[in-house]
Amino acid sequence: MSERTDLNPGPGEAAAAMEPAPVVDSAKEAPATRTRRSPALVTGCVLLGLIVATALVSLFWVPYAPEDTTGGRLTAPGLPHLLGTDKLGRDLLTQLMTGARIALEAGLGAIAIGAVLGICFGLAAGFATRWLDDTLSTLLDVLIAFPTLLLAMLMVAARSASLSSAILAIGLAMTAVVARLTRILVKRVLAQDYITAARTSGTSWPRVITGHVLPNIWPTLVVNLAQQFGLAVMAEASLSFLGLGAPPPNASWGRMLQEAQATVFTAPTGVIAPGVLLVMLVVGVNLIADGLRDTLDPTRRRTR
Amino acid sequence: MRKSVPLLGGTLAVTLSLALTACGAGADKTSDSPSGSYDKNATVGIGSLYEPQNLDNTGGGGQGVTEALNGNVYEGLFKLTDSGKAEKQLAKDYTVSPDGLTYTFTLRDGVKFHSGKALTSADVKYSIEKVRAENSQSARKSSFDMVKSITTPDPATVKVTLSSKSISFVYNLSYVWVVNSEAKDLKTSEDGTGPYTLDKWTRGSALSLARFPGYWGTAATNAKVVFHYYKDATALNNALLTNAVDVVTSEQSPDALDQFKNNPNYKVNDGNSTTKLLLAFNDRVKPFDNVKVRKAVSSAIDNKKLLQSVWGDHGTLIGSMVPPTDPWYEDLTKVNPYDVTLAKKQLAEAGYPKGFSFTLDTPNYDPHPTAATFIKSELGKVGIKVDINVITPDEWYTKVYKNHDFSATLQEHVNDRDIVWYGDPDFYWGYDNKQVTEWVKQAEQSDTTDQQTALLKKVNRQIAEDAASDWLYLYPQIVVANTKLSGYPLNGLNSQFHAYGIKKS
Repeated sequence: MSERTDLNPGPGEAAAAMEPAPVVDSAKEAPATRTRRSPALVTGCVLLGLIVATALVSLFWVPYAPEDTTGGRLTAPGLPHLLGTDKLGRDLLTQLMTGARIALEAGLGAIAIGAVLGICFGLAAGFATRWLDDTLSTLLDVLIAFPTLLLAMLMVAARSASLSSAILAIGLAMTAVVARLTRILVKRVLAQDYITAARTSGTSWPRVITGHVLPNIWPTLVVNLAQQFGLAVMAEASLSFLGLGAPPPNASWGRMLQEAQATVFTAPTGVIAPGVLLVMLVVGVNLIADGLRDTLDPTRRRTR
Repeated sequence: MRKSVPLLGGTLAVTLSLALTACGAGADKTSDSPSGSYDKNATVGIGSLYEPQNLDNTGGGGQGVTEALNGNVYEGLFKLTDSGKAEKQLAKDYTVSPDGLTYTFTLRDGVKFHSGKALTSADVKYSIEKVRAENSQSARKSSFDMVKSITTPDPATVKVTLSSKSISFVYNLSYVWVVNSEAKDLKTSEDGTGPYTLDKWTRGSALSLARFPGYWGTAATNAKVVFHYYKDATALNNALLTNAVDVVTSEQSPDALDQFKNNPNYKVNDGNSTTKLLLAFNDRVKPFDNVKVRKAVSSAIDNKKLLQSVWGDHGTLIGSMVPPTDPWYEDLTKVNPYDVTLAKKQLAEAGYPKGFSFTLDTPNYDPHPTAATFIKSELGKVGIKVDINVITPDEWYTKVYKNHDFSATLQEHVNDRDIVWYGDPDFYWGYDNKQVTEWVKQAEQSDTTDQQTALLKKVNRQIAEDAASDWLYLYPQIVVANTKLSGYPLNGLNSQFHAYGIKKS
């Protein structure tokens, strides 16, 4: 987002080489990086790994059936309900586990939409003639200025309140951010001498894109997408909190927070548990993003 | 959180409590006075979730406008007592012609509007016509369909002629605010006859009322009342805990109550409400056009458990549309008892031994999503699959209420005496029983209230036997106040909150 505007020079630029594709450079350097693992990356992977594992386990096993309301109203944590129950008597742990799935689905779905559309638009704008570039840029700026939640509410009104509406809205909002970043990166790469050299030596534009542009911009993009993933998860939770995300009885963490809000003093677990998981997931992916940046960005690494 | 749906939640309500003169110790159902002395010039802070959209109750002001202004700033010819009876307010007296079609009202002397103008019959005529007007959004508009003409023989007399008899006419008049016919802007200012004038309305946060020195009746027992508006119940409760407000008009969750129950500085009052939570079927379409299916669904849902989940130990089960405060109440919870075996049997008889699936249009605010989740879980046990479709109040209004494009929906119905909607086949739920329609019509044209009561009791039983809807439960009405306060209304709907008898020590 805004911090992306003062980008670190891409690896290609740092390499400042003419022809040999910088892919080769980074490939050469990779082994060295892996020996010095970034602590942020490791912590992030552990946090994200825990959530992913929970989500996977929930596919095969949960302590109680999600719609089982026999637990009693707001049972305190203990046995047989490890984390207690909600107002309707549903097991909280079960809901948290299935909620992990929804959070990951939302994050991955939104990021897929954002990445595909965003990179396409960004490339188009980067390569386009001036007027088309200006048009696309203005469009993207408008889209960025539009709050994600508002966009999502419009989407929900136009379609219906469902997880797919939420994912679509978040994905579209993300598209703008990714596209703008891609455009800037592409422009920067296109100004390099090795592109001119490639063009003069007769390389076709598609080959320039796959051979020179994408390899040079992907590290920065991946870091950004990882950060966007965290934002997408938060956005889905916010939408569900407002009752506009995955419809009940789906156990979205945002919805759980909303439902437990009134009982925050009497049954705090209902608020704490989904809150902690949400923080774990978002902090996890942000740490991964940081770690990736350190690992993938040679300039940054050198300055350390 | 409870928001009002324009037509259902707009302006309704039993005026409960608070005898105007505040002296009828026995009949008065307001909170007890802890001590005799109080500050006559006190400012009372009232916490609420319902900020008015505008200040006109015929202009879509919402339930907040009723809460703040009804009885406080505006008065009617009649007001409703705690038992749901209409009592004379601005009407000094009235007579009804033997055929029951002509009502002649004599107005009280010496009543002045806040602008200084004296009340005349022209204002009353104007006010009734305002409710009936083409562009009126009053929830009571259709109650005045049978008004044929209104004449004003002299400044103190209003004569209303009806096209058909209407035993609820006087009762319905208690919903009609008498406004100055010369008032210009009723959406942001007011001109009523009540004990308070509008002091200041800060949109988005507060609305204050100040004692009107020229009031015709007993002056208010406090100098100023400020309604503070909050967006959510937690903020509202915190405001009460930090003394930002003195009383909360209506609690929306039982779980916040413990912090007040265990605190000697607060009093938690459990009153009567007329708000019902309905699982409303679209009785026109399959499979809910089948009585057996509706009965099966009603019997498959454990209403008691749902009520307990949402409200803890508060609230009541009613089994039909009529709350205990309406004269034609009867306990009908046994008509469609919670019985899964019975539900399965009825489903099989209806031709759905394996169940069916339907979409439940669910408003996106509490308690609807919780109730929908519970219903889905309950109906799953008898093989009925529920798809929950969450919609906004606006969507509900268009899709369900206006276009009747739904299978089943959840909705709170806040009005008292709203059983009569089952006599209207065009109402959103489309219940069409000719006998019931006839009974409702006859009830309205009854000569005596006994007759009316007897007929509406029959209606009540019939709709329960037909499971026209599933009446999940009746809300509790919980008012929490600082113990320094007394004389606040305990009962009724949050859409009405008479503040003029509140004493602060």
